[in-house]
Amino acid sequence: MEQTQARSDHTVAANGTASPAISVRNLRMGYGARVLLDNASFDVWRGEILVLLGGSGSGKSSLMKNIIGLYKPMTGDILIGGRSIVMARADEKAQLQRKLGVMYQSGALFGSLNVLENVRFPLDQFTDLALADKNLTARMLLHQVEMGYAESLMPGELSGGMLKRAGIARAMALGCDILLLDEPSAGLDPITAANLDRTILSLRKNLGFTFVVVTHELQSIFAIADRAIMLDPVSRSIIAEGKPADLRDHSTDSRVRQFFNRQPDIGRQKASG
Amino acid sequence: MSTATTDGLHDSVSLVLEGRITAYTAAPIWQSAIDTLAGNPNRRVIVDASRLEYVDDVGIALLFDLIRRDRPPDAKVEIRELAPNLAALLRNFDPQDFAAPARGQRPMGALEHVGRATAQQINYVKELAGFLGECASALRQAFTRRGVVKWGDVLDIATEAGANAVPIVLLIGFLMGVIIAFEIGLVARQFGAVIFVVNGVGVAMLRELGALMTAIVFAGRTGAAFAAQIGTQKVNEEVNAISTFGLDPIHFLVVPRLFAAMLVMPLLAVLADIVGIFGGALVMATFDVGFLQFYNQLIGAVTVGDFVVGIVKAAVFGLTIAAIGCHRGLTTGAGATSVGLSATSAVVTSIVLIVVIDGVFAVFTS
Repeated sequence: MEQTQARSDHTVAANGTASPAISVRNLRMGYGARVLLDNASFDVWRGEILVLLGGSGSGKSSLMKNIIGLYKPMTGDILIGGRSIVMARADEKAQLQRKLGVMYQSGALFGSLNVLENVRFPLDQFTDLALADKNLTARMLLHQVEMGYAESLMPGELSGGMLKRAGIARAMALGCDILLLDEPSAGLDPITAANLDRTILSLRKNLGFTFVVVTHELQSIFAIADRAIMLDPVSRSIIAEGKPADLRDHSTDSRVRQFFNRQPDIGRQKASG
Repeated sequence: MSTATTDGLHDSVSLVLEGRITAYTAAPIWQSAIDTLAGNPNRRVIVDASRLEYVDDVGIALLFDLIRRDRPPDAKVEIRELAPNLAALLRNFDPQDFAAPARGQRPMGALEHVGRATAQQINYVKELAGFLGECASALRQAFTRRGVVKWGDVLDIATEAGANAVPIVLLIGFLMGVIIAFEIGLVARQFGAVIFVVNGVGVAMLRELGALMTAIVFAGRTGAAFAAQIGTQKVNEEVNAISTFGLDPIHFLVVPRLFAAMLVMPLLAVLADIVGIFGGALVMATFDVGFLQFYNQLIGAVTVGDFVVGIVKAAVFGLTIAAIGCHRGLTTGAGATSVGLSATSAVVTSIVLIVVIDGVFAVFTS
């Protein structure tokens, strides 16, 4: 975080006085010939928590993987801190990817390493720190996600929520300032999910992280999101963008209202009714 | 640029941190700061953070490491002019929580290694015996009750384990025949006993090498695949799902594989026998033993018993490899690493047991 706290104050950035952390420009992405999202453009501002919403199959996780640079978009560009990850050479791309901390849906911890070693792994790979210093850093990261008690456990011994929290700690290890989380609260009990939301808010407050969170858990969306972008699998486009409460209360789009009010699909309703 | 500089005063020393302290730049700064603390054990250390531009989690760990150190009351470390959000963050960490060293794996002595490995192997043999008992019971039921075995599954597995393995078995069998004939032929020629090489090739291929080499290929290819397939199903809780439906995983997953292995191993061994002997015949032609002469000598040298022993052995090897592969799969722990370990262990255990069983056969059938 900046000593001046600029990193943690997204409202400054949202006024246009700072460059966005991530810019997506005229993106078309998909698999093979199948287009999942077309002509998508949006910015993620520093210190902001942006949530990507949408039903299953709308391309939320795929969009995240395009942003990370794991998949190449069909057309369009994605800028990380003003530099294109799409056009970057392999070494530049690796540099840009190290700016991004990613937590995958399953936590994606390495099964042969314990929790502490998993969190320490990026530090082992990319820094010259002494082992004791790396251990202290990793333990403090685990402490921040309330996993300090589990440092010596193996991933196979962890619950779903613990895997995700350890995944967040590992994602933060290299001091990246943008964290991308894929369905952090999916499949968790309400208390664990609320704890995870609190962890995300606390990390933003204390460390000024920028978050891009893929989720369709309504309670989490309202708890953490500054702004939400909704993807639609049928029109293959962004159909809504704004504060979650505004989208719920004022959107004129029936698909958005349906999502936020947890209404079943109208076609199916008629068929079953 | 980030630096740590010191400015010594009478009763205190000043440590200036400036610039950016990140995961990539922290190592020398951290070391320099610790050296400063170590060099001034009885003086107060004032850390001037006013010129810090940026710190990441490693930088925060560095700051925390400085203030958590056990020093005399009048020689404490004090951080001044730290940004309020960082100061608040540092207050969240209690030095007591980090007092104990990070827990790693306890180092084990050689004797403990041997002891643990022995106990593990004894447990494994016990487990395997129990598992083989369950398999025997399941096979008995399969023979006595109709509809227990899903023959469609058996055929699919047999196709993958048998038909798809034919090219590699043919290659290995052919090369074995060629190598044996050539090596023995070179020695036998010195004694004018080239024709007896045919006896050696025939008996070796039919009784031993046809079945043995096929079994080793089968263990590496199919035994590992069985362990990995069932291991992955175990990790994904598919095995639990099968049990929850009231189905027995042994009947559902293991028995079809046992049948398939017992069925295809003898067939593969026969193919290995044929191409091995053919390879031997090709080599013998270079030693002036024609095909007809080779055939006549072979008919006189081998018996139906040699062939039957080889085939029975192949079936037993197949059963053993499939049982061990399935057992290793069903005892897989959690995670991708466990699946890999199960597959490796299935191959190693299978090959060891094949050689042991081959020895038993050699004793009782000679």
